[in-house]
Amino acid sequence: MDYAIDISNLVVEFPVPGGRMRALDGLNLRVCPGQVYGFLGPNGAGKTTTMHILLGFITATSGTARLLGEAVSGPIARQRIGYLPEHPDTYRFLTGRELLTLAGRLFLMPRAALRQRVDELLALVGLTQAADRRIGVYSRGMLQRIGLAQALVHDPDLVILDEPTSGFDPLGRIDVRTLIAGLKARGKTVFFSSHELSEVERVCDHIGILAKGKLVSEGTVDALVKADESLEQYFLRMVS
Amino acid sequence: MNAQRILILAQQVWLETLRRKDVYVLLILLTGFLAALMSVNAFGLGQMAAYMKETGLLLAWIFSWILAINTSTRQIPREESQGTVYLLLAKPVSRADVVLGKWLGTWSVTVVATVSFYAVLAVVALLRQSPFGLPTLVQALLLHSTLLAILTAIGIWFSTRLNYDAAATLTYVLTLAAWLVLPRVPTFVLNTTGFQQWGLMLCYYALPHFELFDMRRRLVYDAAPILLADLGLILLYGTVIIAFFLILAWLAWRRKRFVRGAAV
Repeated sequence: MDYAIDISNLVVEFPVPGGRMRALDGLNLRVCPGQVYGFLGPNGAGKTTTMHILLGFITATSGTARLLGEAVSGPIARQRIGYLPEHPDTYRFLTGRELLTLAGRLFLMPRAALRQRVDELLALVGLTQAADRRIGVYSRGMLQRIGLAQALVHDPDLVILDEPTSGFDPLGRIDVRTLIAGLKARGKTVFFSSHELSEVERVCDHIGILAKGKLVSEGTVDALVKADESLEQYFLRMVS
Repeated sequence: MNAQRILILAQQVWLETLRRKDVYVLLILLTGFLAALMSVNAFGLGQMAAYMKETGLLLAWIFSWILAINTSTRQIPREESQGTVYLLLAKPVSRADVVLGKWLGTWSVTVVATVSFYAVLAVVALLRQSPFGLPTLVQALLLHSTLLAILTAIGIWFSTRLNYDAAATLTYVLTLAAWLVLPRVPTFVLNTTGFQQWGLMLCYYALPHFELFDMRRRLVYDAAPILLADLGLILLYGTVIIAFFLILAWLAWRRKRFVRGAAV
């Protein structure tokens, strides 16, 4: 079976003054198709580094990473992937509609289908009214929404979200949760990092906890967390 | 590499440049200078026309030079500093597509702006009853466009590893030195010996010879166009240089690590 994400013995080192710093230390991680996987860890644990490896922003020092059966080094793997960065800074000179159109065009979507998809997505993320305004005037929450929409424009099989609820008010978080549930219902794989443990508990099938570049715990929430403790307590126990 | 994606990225550069309005400012400045020149008639009609053409062409060169370097050197650093590179490279776009798309976009924007500068100048020259010879004008534009392609390729190359300010400064220094100093190097070589002589010779052959692309004097003094064989050779020389710098840009950028937010 091709895993949606398949990482084996991944090591990433960065040069730092006086030597090298190991950001990922022999990471092994597998995410099955159709799973909603919550990737947890304290700041600096290596979550974003892992995502950056998967998207080809960084090359690994050693080890392998595959997305949907394809090596992450080439652009082919990214054809079926949607990504929302932690800080969804985007082209501020474009309007929301233009940004989604650009994203769709880079996936070589046919124009008519793209036009329809852009309207659907703008409605889905609640930006229909602001669609023709420059992104430069968008609020933080609106930026996050348009970032989410651009990640979904080509209806990807795997969606990688780095802190998708940051910048959202409680209503926005409910929208993100609903959106992830909708993706799951359609058989899509969602891999996301978050510090919002309550959100993770609500939407994830599986969680993985990363600490100091190593996966210290992995499994379903029910299997990992004891009946008398919360996910937050379990998380603190694992990373301490 | 994918030609369609390269064109999409080039269109983005166009949209951005048009919305930043740099081109309009330069065009207005050029028109203003020419209008001011037209209102003066200090040297008599014939001399004035030549003086106006020479000044106008120099301004067109300077403005296109500024536009080419400023536009090309800011493309990649801004993608990186604003974080948009993460959105871009998460799409099925190769780094070669990005380098070529950015270069094509900046070059084509600069060429269209330059054609507009020449058009304004040609109209003013016509009004002064001293029009440019069309074949020479076409050749001059063709060579000027090739020169702009080299400038933008150098700018893109420097900007793959440097921030905007450093890349722009270095591109200005290198290209202006190549344009203004390089043609005089053979004279210096005659007065030096040993390593100094070798160093100068190396610079002379390694740096691009921008003076080959400069037909301003022919335009000003209504000289005949150059031979087509010579034109072809210069264009071939330009193409080789453009390819060389674009390959350097791709080599410098293809393995660059983007680590914002990563645990570094």
